[in-house]
Amino acid sequence: MATVDAAASVPNPRGRVSARGTLAALIVLVLFGLAAWIYQLTQGLIVTGMRDEVSWGLYISTFAFFVGLSAGGLIMASASELFGVKSLRPLSRIGVLTAAACVLVAAVTIIPDLGNPQRVWELFAYPNWTSPLVWDVLIILAYFLFAGADLAVMTRRGLSPSKRARQLRTLAYVGLPSAVLLHSITAWIFGLQISRPWWNTALLAPVFVVSAILSGTALVVLVVLAAKRFGGLQLPTETWSTLARLIATTIAIDLFLVGADYITILWGNVPRDTATLNLILPGGSWQWVFWVEWIVGGLIPFLLLVLPRWRGRPGVIGVASALVLAGVYAFRVELIEGGLLKPLLALPPGVSLGSGASGSFQFLGSYHPTWVEYGIVAGLLAFLALLITVGYRWLRSLEPDKVGG
Amino acid sequence: MAQETPKRWAMVIDQERCIGCWTCAVGCKEINNEPIGFWWNRILTSAPGEVSGEPSDALTPPASDNIDVPHGSFPQLQLEYLPVACQHCDDAPCVRVCPVGATFARDDGTVLIDYERCIGCRYCIAACPYGVRIFNWGDAERSPDFTVGYGRDYRSDGRLVFTPDRPTGVVEKCTFCVERIDQGEQPFCVVVCPTGARVFGDLDEPGSPVSQLVESGGATQLLPDLGTDPRVYYLPAENEGGK
Repeated sequence: MATVDAAASVPNPRGRVSARGTLAALIVLVLFGLAAWIYQLTQGLIVTGMRDEVSWGLYISTFAFFVGLSAGGLIMASASELFGVKSLRPLSRIGVLTAAACVLVAAVTIIPDLGNPQRVWELFAYPNWTSPLVWDVLIILAYFLFAGADLAVMTRRGLSPSKRARQLRTLAYVGLPSAVLLHSITAWIFGLQISRPWWNTALLAPVFVVSAILSGTALVVLVVLAAKRFGGLQLPTETWSTLARLIATTIAIDLFLVGADYITILWGNVPRDTATLNLILPGGSWQWVFWVEWIVGGLIPFLLLVLPRWRGRPGVIGVASALVLAGVYAFRVELIEGGLLKPLLALPPGVSLGSGASGSFQFLGSYHPTWVEYGIVAGLLAFLALLITVGYRWLRSLEPDKVGG
Repeated sequence: MAQETPKRWAMVIDQERCIGCWTCAVGCKEINNEPIGFWWNRILTSAPGEVSGEPSDALTPPASDNIDVPHGSFPQLQLEYLPVACQHCDDAPCVRVCPVGATFARDDGTVLIDYERCIGCRYCIAACPYGVRIFNWGDAERSPDFTVGYGRDYRSDGRLVFTPDRPTGVVEKCTFCVERIDQGEQPFCVVVCPTGARVFGDLDEPGSPVSQLVESGGATQLLPDLGTDPRVYYLPAENEGGK
């Protein structure tokens, strides 16, 4: 026992140095993102690549992505409580921590997208209850508070194990449905809009739930691998194989749902629906999202996870998880930008752009994010990594032998 | 202006008369002091029977992405103009999605934006089926670079629904010239149209020209299958040639 403790408290020097370097790099990125946002505040959103036709860009795609990321950890923790998936139990704390960090950063991501961020308090002062956005803000807050409560119960000192187990179980009954609700409401921001045929499908909420479980689990894998590298965390083989199975299964369900939507559109061949799909399928001007979603982030990680040759190796699961995250991000872009590229009234001269710099109108939407958008998104990603890193260190400082098995 | 009897404003656009001259669009820019790149009102090039009154799933891609190019192939060519500004929907998607109630509908059916309330989330732009909403992305550029048109603030029930210089970060769009109709005047596009293609009035007044045109049949709405029930109606041009 004494030797184990000693090993845990003295991480190998190499790991320690690069951990410090990583932290410094993250802080620099966060500051850069902040600077980019301040620049954007002084100029207006004109410094982004968005205009009136494609009026939501990288910020909203990233927001939806972060919301999705928050699913994995919490669902993992709840599933281990409710369905007795014992192999996932070692991941409970790291999972809930990841969930809390992701949903917090998701909420922050809305801010740079607003034209008048100083008026954001109006969401609470004058809520319009028919707007899915209001419900999304509320469920995001509720979810964050819930994850915080879960974490508090998990780490509270002086709680008897049986009492802690009972409280965690009770929380899990709230956690799982609220996770489903969070992703559904986020999907309904888009899915309820009759003006956007590409979004307006009942499949959207199920797709959001599944892709959230998929990307959330993949993120937990990456966090665990980082903890293993820098903090000497060890997981039982059984946990790794459960994670691999979970990711492989959700890749299949996710692509099945998206594919079912493609088939419905292709067979129906209704112009307003095929207009967008044709841009995304191979040969279209947005085909990169198709390749990243289906091959790079779909088929390849799926094969890595199921073929006996590579199956079960943490490193391979890590590579598959990184690819999965790229795939799910491509799906967010495909959905949000795809819905905005073609207006319903597709007649010349098109939509008034709100800027005279490159002509007054745009017929087919185009969107190229600027350095400001990339900078702010990079800053947000770094902020997320920073929160998880700091949070993990805090968890470890509480009970070094208990964080993750 | 408080109104004694609630009106139900509507506009009818006669596509048979519209010649696609853009005078209404330019007049709109003038009265509302719209910056460069902003068109609250724009004239789409269409073909008879192609859009107005047709459901959204019947829309086919046009022959060209330039204006004034007829649809079809020679000698079966067709051309029609479709002036599109805010449709002032009875069940407006923008009003439903606005998280803070900055976009709202008055009792007379006019859909307006409170420029002091808008948080600039642009959800309304995503929700509008007609693509008529414009965001103030940065500092407005104008040519000429001084204020033209109505030129002062206008409030409805205390809410700032018109101001000549819209602040950066808010969404703007056609107001049915709220500051004019509240004084009993016609919207500016109706006044300037050289062919008299636009008619504006109260749907609740049985004898009004708009009521007669809407009730006499033939008046259609844009993308009617969406159920937004616009207060802007179109009288499609008669199909004289082609087909």
